[in-house]
Amino acid sequence: MKRLIIGILQLYVCQLYAQYSFFTPEDAFAIEVSLDNTSLKRLPGYRNAITSLVVSGDYIIGGTSADAGLTPFVFTASLSKREMHSIVDVENVIPGQQRIRTGFSKGKNNTFYAGTLPGVIDKKPNAGGHLIAVTVDAGGHPVIRDLGIPVPGEGIFSLTIDAKGNNLYGITYPAGIFFSYSIATKKINTYHDIVPTAKDTELFSEYLLEADDYLCSALAVARNGLVLGSAPVNRMFAFNPIVQQFEFFKKEIPEVWGRRSLGQIESWAMAANGKLFAGNAGDGQLLEVDPVSRNIRNLGKPIMMPRLRGLAFAYNGKLFGIAGALPGYAHLFSYDPAKEGFKDYGNPQFKMIAPGVEQGIDWRGFQLGTIASSEDGKYIVIGEDEAFSQLLVFPASAAKD
Amino acid sequence: MFKLLLTCLFCVVVTSATTQNIITEKNIRFIEYYGFPGGNSAWDDIGYNPMDNTVYVGITDHRDKVALYIYDPVKDSVKLKGFINDLGRLRSFQWQAKIHSKFAVGPKGEMYFATDGGESREEYLMEHPGGYAGGFMMKWDPVQDRMTNLGMGMQYESIKDIDVDITTGNVYAVSYPQVHFLIYDQQRNALKDYGRLGSAHVPRMMFTDTWGNCYYTDWRQRLVKYEKSQDKLIFASNSLPAFEGTPGEHIITGITAFAKDEKKGVIYLITYGAKVLAFYPQQNGIGRVEDLGGVIDIPGKQRWNYYVPNLNVGDNGKLYYIIGGHGIYAKKDRSLLVEFDPATKTPRILFEYPSTVFVEATGCNTKDRDGNMYFAGKKNIPPGTDKNGGLAELGGLSTVPFLVKFNPDKTVY
Repeated sequence: MKRLIIGILQLYVCQLYAQYSFFTPEDAFAIEVSLDNTSLKRLPGYRNAITSLVVSGDYIIGGTSADAGLTPFVFTASLSKREMHSIVDVENVIPGQQRIRTGFSKGKNNTFYAGTLPGVIDKKPNAGGHLIAVTVDAGGHPVIRDLGIPVPGEGIFSLTIDAKGNNLYGITYPAGIFFSYSIATKKINTYHDIVPTAKDTELFSEYLLEADDYLCSALAVARNGLVLGSAPVNRMFAFNPIVQQFEFFKKEIPEVWGRRSLGQIESWAMAANGKLFAGNAGDGQLLEVDPVSRNIRNLGKPIMMPRLRGLAFAYNGKLFGIAGALPGYAHLFSYDPAKEGFKDYGNPQFKMIAPGVEQGIDWRGFQLGTIASSEDGKYIVIGEDEAFSQLLVFPASAAKD
Repeated sequence: MFKLLLTCLFCVVVTSATTQNIITEKNIRFIEYYGFPGGNSAWDDIGYNPMDNTVYVGITDHRDKVALYIYDPVKDSVKLKGFINDLGRLRSFQWQAKIHSKFAVGPKGEMYFATDGGESREEYLMEHPGGYAGGFMMKWDPVQDRMTNLGMGMQYESIKDIDVDITTGNVYAVSYPQVHFLIYDQQRNALKDYGRLGSAHVPRMMFTDTWGNCYYTDWRQRLVKYEKSQDKLIFASNSLPAFEGTPGEHIITGITAFAKDEKKGVIYLITYGAKVLAFYPQQNGIGRVEDLGGVIDIPGKQRWNYYVPNLNVGDNGKLYYIIGGHGIYAKKDRSLLVEFDPATKTPRILFEYPSTVFVEATGCNTKDRDGNMYFAGKKNIPPGTDKNGGLAELGGLSTVPFLVKFNPDKTVY
């Protein structure tokens, strides 16, 4: 009885503090990734924004971005143990890098590819962002192999891989040069077709936009082999690797009137049937992109805010995504074209249990940077983009219609 | 006089006069505000200005109107200085529901505070036309009787607390709900964001030491210090002491109150897990923490489950605080004024009030030259009996605020 009264009182207090509910599904959990001044296996502050994320078997693989003057990490965390597993300081492998924001592209033999962005863009021939190949060894530790600098003097802003795992395609930073990299031969080709023109740059300067705002932030490879992405201003391109030619869609990326200059694709996901979905950072629209008809279908905005930072399909065909970002905060949403359309879950708030907080504390996700599904699609993993970023994990089945 | 009698009738003096100083109703006084019938509460927004020996309080209707009062203990007068939206030159779309920060004194006797959006309307409407623009930092000049709006912290975010580096005038702030630690350099008009430090509930209290370093708590209830000499945050390796079984939601809320005994070089803290702690700050590094025990121990109640959002240190070196509020009471619907002796680590209840007389108090480290201590108090108004026109808190009971003046060694009448 006493417990009941306490429970009611606490419920009342909770209501006073928060007149709303969070997405708190059963069996969801948070993994503490970042913590300063600790003997626990954690990332230090300001070097841990989880800007690249993938799941391989039991291991979540994260790549981070750091604040200016600091360097990133690659880490693994265990889904089953719900804890950090292993950390590699990228500075010890490739010095001078700041961001790994390309995501991981899965290649052959469970090799995951990413690109780095240096802290200082230096035009020297031996400076720039590196392609890296990450594998997880038998002990669950990430192993980073340096594949070199594809375009000297440039960082790597976005990256994808073809279906057979033979070639990488990327876009450099800040110039926006498209490149291809043959994994077998290490041959690099560069293309200037999507580099912003002087006219584009003038337009961007009118809106005080910088390379981070207008370069294509995510690439995808369609079932027909075309490499898809956005190009200034507000265009969708398709690169045909066979003939090595670019084609621009006749239809522009859907815009909110007056915000054409903000068009930027920042996320992709491919459904089991090959359908491609993209997120437009400019105003947060979810798009269905048909690489055959070159049609772009505007599916709408899950929330009022701009940004659509990540997309991931669950085992049941439900598409999860991250809408919104600073100066507001991100919402987890799902999209089901057949039934409910968009569903907004708001901020996820999952229980974090770790040594020292064995009773569990609630971790509320505000700035969600990345999202990925486990290999079987049963778990959805979210990486935060904070000064101290953590992982949020929930079973996809918990997000019911 | 009638009100004094009424207060005496309703409060229960529980102190013993045998071995300890006699504390009676003459040692405590409830001072009413005027000119703002809709005002219902104060939220940590009280502070003392040592330059002119005055006490500042912000009273809110918890909607969009916040009054600034200044109490002069020498003249024994309360003055309504105006409303924040007018004094701070805010437009209607920059509405503020309350001041949640303390009033903190600056190097020249100016008083700083920050504004807050209140409840759900602040947190969820956001970019909606009815949403919250963000919390502002403000400075009151008591010489000129003038408010200066120092600008916003973060867009859409409230500011839950501030403190001031007494040597530089830099303002420390923490945002709500994203728990960002901010430093505003008013000489350069530069705001630096040190990022998110907390979990799902924002610790409401930050404080400074004599060197101007600032302290806060992270999600593990570890002290976080802004180390001025290094311009960086440093983190304690261990969490602050907590009772076994303290739930996570109490851990993440950090400390709820502090008070400084500068003669002894100690800052007393009370956690949301109801621990009384003595913290000994040092210029560099994080200082020592001593566990002084619980705020009270009522048989049958968990040691961690008391709510104490206020604390003062008397001239006698003892701590004074009021237990109760926000649905957590040591005794059902009653608040307790407690004296805690740090030397013996023992609390004793001085007064016990029904919630219709005194339901909750905020306010830390607010003591005037004569050793009078102040709390921002309020009382519940039972439904249907509100004769004062005070608006109910959003989603809560109707309350009427008052200033609590308390001195264990002197009469305050």
